[in-house]
Amino acid sequence: MRRFVYMDNGATTMADPEVVKTMLPYFTEKFGNASSVHGKGQEAKRVLEESRETVAKSIRAKPGEIIFTSGGTESDNLAIKGVVYNNKEKNHIITSNIEHHAVLNTCKELEKEGFKVTYLDVDKEGFIDLEQLEKSITHKTALVSIMQGNNEIGTIQDIEKIGKICKKNNVLFHSDTVQSFTKTPLDLKRVNVDLLSFSAHKIHGPKGVGALFVREGIKIKPLYQGGAHERSIRPGTENISGIVGFAKAVSLCKSGHVEHMKKLRDYFIDSVLRDIDNVLLNGPRKERLCNNANLCFRHVEGEGLGAYLDVNGICVSSGSACSSLELKPSHVLTAIGLSKELANGSLRFTLSKFTTKEDIDYVLENLVKHVGKLRKISPLRS
Amino acid sequence: MYNKKVMKRFLKPKYAGKIKDPDAVGEVGNPNCLLPTEKIHTNPNIMKISGLEVNEKVLDYKGEYRRIINRFSRNYDGKIIKLKNKLGVISLTSEHLVYAVKLPKHDKYFRTKNKKKLIPSWYHAEDLKKRDVILYPIIQKDEDLNFIDLDVPKKKYDFKSYNLPEKIPVNGDFLRLSGYFLAEGSIRERKCNNIITFSFNINEKEFVNDVVNISKKLFGIIPTVKHIEKRKTSIVTINSARLARFFKRLFNKGAGNKSIPQFMLFLPISKQKELIKGLWRGDGYVSLNRSNPRAGYSTISYYLTQQIKILLLRQKVIPSIYEENEKVVKGVKHQKSYRIHVGQRDSLLRLCSILGMEYIPKSFASVDSWFDESYLYTPITGIEKIDYSGKVHNLEVENTHSFVSEAFTLHNCGDLMRIYLKVDKKGVIKKIRFNTFGCGMAIAASDAMCELVEGKTIDEALKIKSKDILDLMGGRDVPVLKVHCSVLGESALKEAIKNYKNKKK
Repeated sequence: MRRFVYMDNGATTMADPEVVKTMLPYFTEKFGNASSVHGKGQEAKRVLEESRETVAKSIRAKPGEIIFTSGGTESDNLAIKGVVYNNKEKNHIITSNIEHHAVLNTCKELEKEGFKVTYLDVDKEGFIDLEQLEKSITHKTALVSIMQGNNEIGTIQDIEKIGKICKKNNVLFHSDTVQSFTKTPLDLKRVNVDLLSFSAHKIHGPKGVGALFVREGIKIKPLYQGGAHERSIRPGTENISGIVGFAKAVSLCKSGHVEHMKKLRDYFIDSVLRDIDNVLLNGPRKERLCNNANLCFRHVEGEGLGAYLDVNGICVSSGSACSSLELKPSHVLTAIGLSKELANGSLRFTLSKFTTKEDIDYVLENLVKHVGKLRKISPLRS
Repeated sequence: MYNKKVMKRFLKPKYAGKIKDPDAVGEVGNPNCLLPTEKIHTNPNIMKISGLEVNEKVLDYKGEYRRIINRFSRNYDGKIIKLKNKLGVISLTSEHLVYAVKLPKHDKYFRTKNKKKLIPSWYHAEDLKKRDVILYPIIQKDEDLNFIDLDVPKKKYDFKSYNLPEKIPVNGDFLRLSGYFLAEGSIRERKCNNIITFSFNINEKEFVNDVVNISKKLFGIIPTVKHIEKRKTSIVTINSARLARFFKRLFNKGAGNKSIPQFMLFLPISKQKELIKGLWRGDGYVSLNRSNPRAGYSTISYYLTQQIKILLLRQKVIPSIYEENEKVVKGVKHQKSYRIHVGQRDSLLRLCSILGMEYIPKSFASVDSWFDESYLYTPITGIEKIDYSGKVHNLEVENTHSFVSEAFTLHNCGDLMRIYLKVDKKGVIKKIRFNTFGCGMAIAASDAMCELVEGKTIDEALKIKSKDILDLMGGRDVPVLKVHCSVLGESALKEAIKNYKNKKK
């Protein structure tokens, strides 16, 4: 029987109906501007600060360390540019070559402005080499930006160790935690990290809202000028309804969800590897995001397979060149050493708390069928 | 993303598949081929690719033997890439796929430990650089044999020869003797007096005694030993015409043609050690008291060299193979010969343990090549680009679509699209099928093209434009991004028709 299965939660998630319910009043009766001094404004101000506290608490930060933004990309830009523009003496950034484009392209832009950027290599599972990181740090290094959980292959970097290296060398450390937020433990009392990027729509919150954590005492330069909102670091009237939704989404996250996704993910990966031959798992087996399975089906083109799945109501995303505008396979898959053919044969399946075992079984059934079909007409294996 | 017309074709392509005995095949995306003289490992031979036939078995990338299901050759005019490594050389077209590990541009990957973390994959020859590591399979077949029949009948008027056992045990003794014979032995054929001789240096008493003892034990024949002081040689002779014929059949005659019998290549690794021991005692040397300790083996048989390579790889010993051209040294003419060097520390340690010699390495040699269970990993040591004009060849191998040359592991296709044609006498395309490794659009476009082509003559088919194909799929509805996917089929068709015309000439 045909079902609809959404397995692209790494791209975005469905907003939790409860989140939407909480947000609705802030469009109509509670529409105030948090900067206004009157009752309506103060009502908004109060809920803004409450939301800030909820988000801060979830990572054991102080409320004052959270700055609301429009999402992950803005947070990454603000973190990186904010830090390097503020520090005139240092001009060197270290990042990895499997970062999200929000980080990579920001760094590339800064390179044009004269900054020096070191792109760390990763091994075949997507881990950076801590020795190489430490060796790359110079007295000119202003910032290290390494994501926690990779959006494509799900690799979870050891940010505790990276944090220690940065602290030892007195370098600021930013981590893009858009994918790993609420899915991977993150305790700021234990981990030394100075800046973190978050996004609401990856955790069943609304789109267009996110946050940046900036550790107390660290100065960053705003990207643009305006009023005194968000300590003038991010001017512009606060997106109250969005922020409320974000906070609600955070408060709805339970550790049980992580366990649920992990169990289904392992079931999915094991079943695919068992039922279909010539499949590779991209990224590590253990230290990977609880909702990510990135699989390479040899001899099959990912976009074609994705389209077959789509027809059958299954949404996934592919690392194939055909699905990108530049006609180049994914930079992450190439960085972990996959050839063009293998990268083009890769699909990403990302689960959510709403995914069920029936969903997975349906996807499995379709995969077996369509991989077989495409392999039959593939000249690489006839 | 796709319109209905594209979707319909993509979901149910009518023309996807292949034709068993096509009149012509056209491939695009990857015109991969080898020069005709490239040598391919078959079972059990190593042969020029141009001489291989369908149904012969070749070694595949997993170290197993697979059947050739098709062979191709075509004319080529352009650049050829010549890759070198320790094991040898290969010349191929630039997009041929080679099984390798590509090293990222970072000094971190100077360290072997880090290289080992990278995933092997198939890379286009042109994308490979010096230092990238290629994979070479170790033969996986393992077949023990306890006895072989001495199936050479006694000649009718042969009254004097010894009574030989009917079965000869395939044990360490026999394998060592085989090694001695391959290296130092010969068969002298005289009327009514065929004999096997082994010539050793006069100082190699141990080996002489070994041969004598083995002969006693296995055949019940006591050989004669002659020491010739003047030539500093000791000659061991086994006087048995029947045995001589048996040896001739087993190992071939003449130093240039001698080869290891096929079954010996698949014996368990522990047994093969004795064969290597015999070979090395004959034609090999080990020189440990020098700054670069090494062992070497020299023979004039190319075939034997390749077989010894297989034996050594199974022992996880890395050989470096060199060709020595014909030369004249001190007035003596030396034939073209092949040298096998073993210099890498761990390899030398293993070889010495096989030969029963003690070797205590003094230094930590750098390790640029290594083994895992199934492969030798060794770096590319040189790349050259040469101009070439002439025939090039390729094979299609069942299941694993790969084959192995003297030094590299190659994929047999990597093309994105293949078109099969069936053409009747009047030049009408009666049947057309396609295979593609492509996205939805490529599949749909190929299908549309096939629909246009089937039933047309080859000349009409050549007039079909990519615009016609696009029109069949909704024309302007096709996303601009996807238009390029639809031209593949057209080029494959042109290629197929070209091949058809060449074939008819």
